[in-house]
Amino acid sequence: MIFSLLFQEGPAETTAYMIAGYAVVLVVMAAYIVSLWLRWRNLHRDQEMLEKLLPSQKIEPESWEERNS
Amino acid sequence: MQPKPKALTYLDTFTAILFLISVGMVFFYAPMEAVMGNVQRVFYYHVAVGWVGMLSFLAAAIAGILYLKSKDRKWDLFALAAVEIGIVFTFLNIVTGSIWARPIWNTWWTWDPRLTTATIMELIYFAYLMLRQGIEDPERRARFGAVYVILGFVSVPLTFFSARLFRTIHPVVIGTNQPGAEGQFDMTPRMVHTFLFSLFTFTFVFIDLMWHRLRLGRFADQVEQLKLRLSL
Repeated sequence: MIFSLLFQEGPAETTAYMIAGYAVVLVVMAAYIVSLWLRWRNLHRDQEMLEKLLPSQKIEPESWEERNS
Repeated sequence: MQPKPKALTYLDTFTAILFLISVGMVFFYAPMEAVMGNVQRVFYYHVAVGWVGMLSFLAAAIAGILYLKSKDRKWDLFALAAVEIGIVFTFLNIVTGSIWARPIWNTWWTWDPRLTTATIMELIYFAYLMLRQGIEDPERRARFGAVYVILGFVSVPLTFFSARLFRTIHPVVIGTNQPGAEGQFDMTPRMVHTFLFSLFTFTFVFIDLMWHRLRLGRFADQVEQLKLRLSL
């Protein structure tokens, strides 16, 4: 295969592989971002449910470190 | 949903802009390689995602050391977040490499030293997630996890240098190629610009994803604590 690439006149026609490569990168990265969002949403639901059961407990994600330090 | 910090919103926007520019550079600025054709463009993101994978594992190892020194749970969450991101991006590195290899090496896969060490590295960090799932006590889990990510980091330099130390067909970007390397090419200035910009962009992708994943980890920790409080 490498010889046929070297002795050809123009570049090899490999566009389909390029598209496949970038499609994989975009799809997997998008899937990971969606998974982060879904996990966040599920935690938010759990938090709301727990807050109903424990009305005095109110949590704020960004202040967590300060309150635990 | 909890409001996110303004700085994170700015970082999201900045990273998205960088990403769009890098895509534009890959497809419209960088020239087509004379022999391999368009598949050579996979190289820009193949190396960039590999860089993010290794950077993540380095961050996890540093977090492991800091956890053992301080016993602060935030470093355990940091290591977990870094490993998760590292696994995703190393997977992308392996898959994009395989797609590039099909027309250039005439095979999807070969047990070349670089491909083998990268796969072992990926599996080592998968095992880290399995190890964590198997330990109930949070403090013990964090301690074992910290030791594991420090020891597991040995696989990272081994993977990086495998294409330089062993007889391999995998080309290298920095340094001298092995005599049997197939698919190497000389980069034009535009290719170098695109390559460096892709590395820069994906470094920001890593920082952005780490911040989001850390927030998620902290939130999960809080919800877990609330559940424990309820069960008492």
